[in-house]
Amino acid sequence: MSGAGATERASYVLLRIGNRRFALPSRGIVELAPPVRLHDFPHSSKFVAGVIVRRGRIVPVYDVAPLLTGRESPLHRFYLISNVVVGTEQEASAIPVTGECELASGDVGPRAEDDPDYFQGKLSVDEEAVNVLNLEALVAAGAARAALQGVRA
Amino acid sequence: MKIASHDKAKPRRGKNSEQAILFNAGHRTFAIAAESVQEIRSTDSLGGSAIELDQTDVPKVKHLVERAGRNYFIVNACTHFGLRLTRPTLVLILRQIRAAVLVDGIERMEELNAIHALPKAFRGEERNWYRGLAYIEDNVIPVVSPSGFLTAAEFETLDAAAKAVQFEGVAEG
Repeated sequence: MSGAGATERASYVLLRIGNRRFALPSRGIVELAPPVRLHDFPHSSKFVAGVIVRRGRIVPVYDVAPLLTGRESPLHRFYLISNVVVGTEQEASAIPVTGECELASGDVGPRAEDDPDYFQGKLSVDEEAVNVLNLEALVAAGAARAALQGVRA
Repeated sequence: MKIASHDKAKPRRGKNSEQAILFNAGHRTFAIAAESVQEIRSTDSLGGSAIELDQTDVPKVKHLVERAGRNYFIVNACTHFGLRLTRPTLVLILRQIRAAVLVDGIERMEELNAIHALPKAFRGEERNWYRGLAYIEDNVIPVVSPSGFLTAAEFETLDAAAKAVQFEGVAEG
């Protein structure tokens, strides 16, 4: 998929983080949750903003905005919940998004050579090339970055 | 994709509910199984019996207290959890490990019907700190693991420091 010349057509969820648009493959998406309360407690996993409670389950929230936009997460936000493979298991996990999401389908082309691993390709939407996120790679990159910042601190 | 409305965690009545003590440290609330706490004392009442340890390898422990012939190392909960230091008023003396925990205060007792596993997204020291998470009255509260307060290596360091203090006491006496 990434870096390949071939294109594929599938369903994606378009989401907004800050003022940037991204896409996520719709398979694996669980739900778009309203701006429920973010619970926090002491921990050292800096890439995790806290947890939300959905349908009787505790769902971790990844703080992806600094990595994707270079800015803090917006305050009024929804949570897009998706299954993320952590180790050998899947875990429902949330990322904060600004506003509502929409479904789209289109051709996904290869990512740019200098794009990070967590962009798996580019989706053409409304004449815009939207980066398609690979959540597992994004989580790994965020955790590594947070660990590095922890060491520097 | 579902766009869902607000909801709350469903209270689950488990067969294995347990009594927990909700305590505060560094303006945060934690839960600990009541059965893992042997005794709760005020810091004032321990003042005279706490022995200062001359060691810096385990900064969260500055003192020990002797109870029934055993040394209990006093762990500052704020330092342990990386929180801003506050003034502790109580000490929880634990039952199965030789540790006591300095806390700001006790909130209340609570019956925990379910303890949720700590999500795998949490990969740091908190995996040792907590047994899991409890959802109590719209709050997610970490349930601490008593054995997470001190590692075997830390006990070894502290036991050596305790011996040195006791040796000094004998030499002076």
